[in-house]
Amino acid sequence: MNILGLSCFYHDSAACALRDGRIIAAAQEERFTRRKNTPDFPVNAINFCIQAEGASILDVDYIAFYEKPYLKFARAVCNHLKAYPFSLKNFMDTMPRWLEDRLILPLVFKKEFGFEGKTLFIKHHLSHAASAFLVSPFEEAAILTADGVGEWATMTRGFGRGNQVQVQKEILFPDSLGLFYTAVTTYLGFPALEGEGIVMGLAGCGDPVYLDKLREIFTIKPDGSFRLDQRFFGFFNEGVRMYTPLFVKTFGAPRLPGEEIEKRHRDMAASLQKLTEEILIMIARNLHAETKMSQLCLAGGLFLNCVANHKILEETPFKKVFVQPAAGDSGGALGAAAYVYYDFLGNKRDYMMNDAALGPEFSSDEIKRILRREGIDFKEMEYPVLAPYIAGKIARGEIIGWFQGKMEYGPRALGNRSILADSRNPGMKDLLNSKVKHRESFRPYAPLVLEEKAKDYFDLKDLSPFMLLAPPVREEKKHLIPSATHVDGTARVQTVNKNFHPKLWQLIKTFEDITGIPIILNTSFNLKGEPIVCSPEDALAGFLKSDMDCLVMENIVVEKAGPAA
Amino acid sequence: MICKKCVLPERKPEIVLNGEGVCNVCLEYEKAKPSFEKPLETDFIKILKQHQGKGEYDCLVMCSGGKDSTAALYYMKKRYKMNVLAFTFDHGFETEEALENVRNAVEILGVDFLFFRTDFMKEMFAKILATGSKAVICHLCSLWYMDLTFKMTARFNIPIIIAGWTKGQSTKQPLMSRCGCSIHQSEFVSMAKATQEFLDQHVRTDPRYKDFPQSMEEVLSKAQKKHKCIVLSPHWFLPHASDVYAEVIKKELKWKLPKVSYPANSTNCYLNFLSVHNAMKHYGYTHYHVEMSKMIREGMMLREEALKLLEVDFDKELLKNIAGKLGCTYEI
Repeated sequence: MNILGLSCFYHDSAACALRDGRIIAAAQEERFTRRKNTPDFPVNAINFCIQAEGASILDVDYIAFYEKPYLKFARAVCNHLKAYPFSLKNFMDTMPRWLEDRLILPLVFKKEFGFEGKTLFIKHHLSHAASAFLVSPFEEAAILTADGVGEWATMTRGFGRGNQVQVQKEILFPDSLGLFYTAVTTYLGFPALEGEGIVMGLAGCGDPVYLDKLREIFTIKPDGSFRLDQRFFGFFNEGVRMYTPLFVKTFGAPRLPGEEIEKRHRDMAASLQKLTEEILIMIARNLHAETKMSQLCLAGGLFLNCVANHKILEETPFKKVFVQPAAGDSGGALGAAAYVYYDFLGNKRDYMMNDAALGPEFSSDEIKRILRREGIDFKEMEYPVLAPYIAGKIARGEIIGWFQGKMEYGPRALGNRSILADSRNPGMKDLLNSKVKHRESFRPYAPLVLEEKAKDYFDLKDLSPFMLLAPPVREEKKHLIPSATHVDGTARVQTVNKNFHPKLWQLIKTFEDITGIPIILNTSFNLKGEPIVCSPEDALAGFLKSDMDCLVMENIVVEKAGPAA
Repeated sequence: MICKKCVLPERKPEIVLNGEGVCNVCLEYEKAKPSFEKPLETDFIKILKQHQGKGEYDCLVMCSGGKDSTAALYYMKKRYKMNVLAFTFDHGFETEEALENVRNAVEILGVDFLFFRTDFMKEMFAKILATGSKAVICHLCSLWYMDLTFKMTARFNIPIIIAGWTKGQSTKQPLMSRCGCSIHQSEFVSMAKATQEFLDQHVRTDPRYKDFPQSMEEVLSKAQKKHKCIVLSPHWFLPHASDVYAEVIKKELKWKLPKVSYPANSTNCYLNFLSVHNAMKHYGYTHYHVEMSKMIREGMMLREEALKLLEVDFDKELLKNIAGKLGCTYEI
């Protein structure tokens, strides 16, 4: 049984192929087209996914789409009507797109690649819920989903048991915690759907002095559900400013992109983050009380917020929290496919998502051919030699492009398409920023830690294999890993398991043997404004355009100074 | 002297190495910096679906029994579920191993099979040897083979010809490439000229060959007038390397690699040995060198791999026997 899950036409288009309930491939379209967060029909990702394990599109039994387009269309039309006449231009721009593809998807699939099988449409938040629970390690769990907006729902809660997912309550548009977060993100001068992570980082640098004022925008009921005072927001006319003059009157002038970040901006970010955490914790506690379940699955773009995720784990009665790596809309492709296979078709669950490495991979020979084609000198090393060679370089302060195995699914680079550096060096964050990433100085970099050593360094209740928890760094260890410790004392930890990531684990272990510290700094392998690299060509281009010192692709080493000695 | 980047040897006037030992074809390629946009399989499927069910067969697959064409046949039947007519052309010099590969494939796949054997070109081939012409046997054969293939598609109203051409054999990677190697590439200029001279002097003037096409352009224009048909290879659209699909057909179609071949790991007719030996003698390289050089430039093959595949000791007895079958002696 082959099921192809698709998510597209809003942002983070992706495809995911499920064979007999097991994910055989998944990837975001942006990685192939090199257009970050692209909403385009994911034709490249589809080709990649269906070719995994020798399948063809003609072997696909079902296509599962991550939304119900007619419901979403209904909301779009209502929004346009509500915002008329200001929405007229937007209406004229978007309506043709609905009519030419989004509302006739089965015909598009037939026309584009001859698919004549069944297409099933799964509600947006149900797809998120399914992506969270159906590939989780839990037999039963409470489920909480939250993002900007799906069709109408912006947040859902329910539970999963066996192969079934139940959504029990919904909060509907325009009351949206996700849109609220995005609106304030844009108020702070960062781009919607991209800048939320930056604001989460900025929050650690401020004080939540606007918390009470922000709370006043919300009417929160005892069960955690809320209404948002729409006088402050302009969610109806998409593509236009998300906050109103009243918001500006209340909180001051917005920051324009590129303007200096002042204390009030940092404080606003901190207040936003704090309020978001408060509401999520309240809802999660309530969900626990309703379901009496000890495990929680989270999905939706809001749960890419690893700081909030960690607070939920810490401050609610849930004992375990699972967030799959593609928690945002790209994971909708997985959720829709999983929902069809398990819930809709009633198949038994016997698969768990242990690893995000589901994308394209390249052999050493392929990498060599490309390097030869480009006239790049390289050195081939066996892994037992490679690990100490590279660990030594990291310990000496070099910045390494690390390209191994299959590309990760979801927005995080988890050690297969990563840039690695020394966590001990207090100046490493600035060095990474000036040489490679060119991003805001306040943003933290994430530590990769040997799974078995994680609790020695971080106040961590559970494992964090997908970098979706941000626990505090233990006080006595902070000085050992200054570049991995955010200004608020937390770190976006990824715990590295020896079995799932043997090469990465070995590299960190070797680094520990040299330095005594089982932690390497990790950031995604991309340059500013670009998606994470997918192919050796992308990695090489990023390496050559930046001041990275060394590029390791499988067991092939390229160095800026020429071939390795 | 062989180019340091590809496997073309210096053979003036076509191939000239610069001071650093890099050939003009590689230098031209670097200058042009062609994009590497890869055709997608869904593009291929889209074309197949547009034509499916429109003729007596959905496609005709040219199958020589080699790994590329046998895999193409396998893909068309199993992967794309097309109604396939397999077509094999034997000019009298196909190896028994190749024909057995074809027989196994069509039997296991259960596809209709058209086998065409003729000694029509035997005297033409003999004349190349007898006159010491530098014409390339494979070029002449491909004219006849393609002409015949187009005629078969017209006869059965088949809209698509599927060939086993690899990415290196295609000169226009994107869709609708009309045929494999273009003899107008700079590397083929001398070969094309010699072949054209041979056609003018010995074929055009021979009443037996009055209908023999004089160029691939003629084949294509005649075909287009009679019956519109496109030529495609699944290998252009699929990411699989040849070793991957070779394993699949070994397992699924009992496909076997012949004991002797040129280049290594390929399956070709007996005349191919004479053709490449002759090409090496006259030009110092063969169309395989051109094909593999292209793959090296595009990052699909390592130079070492190509050199290994192209390195072969020609079996002199084999060459003499093949020439003997043509009623000729062959000087090695």
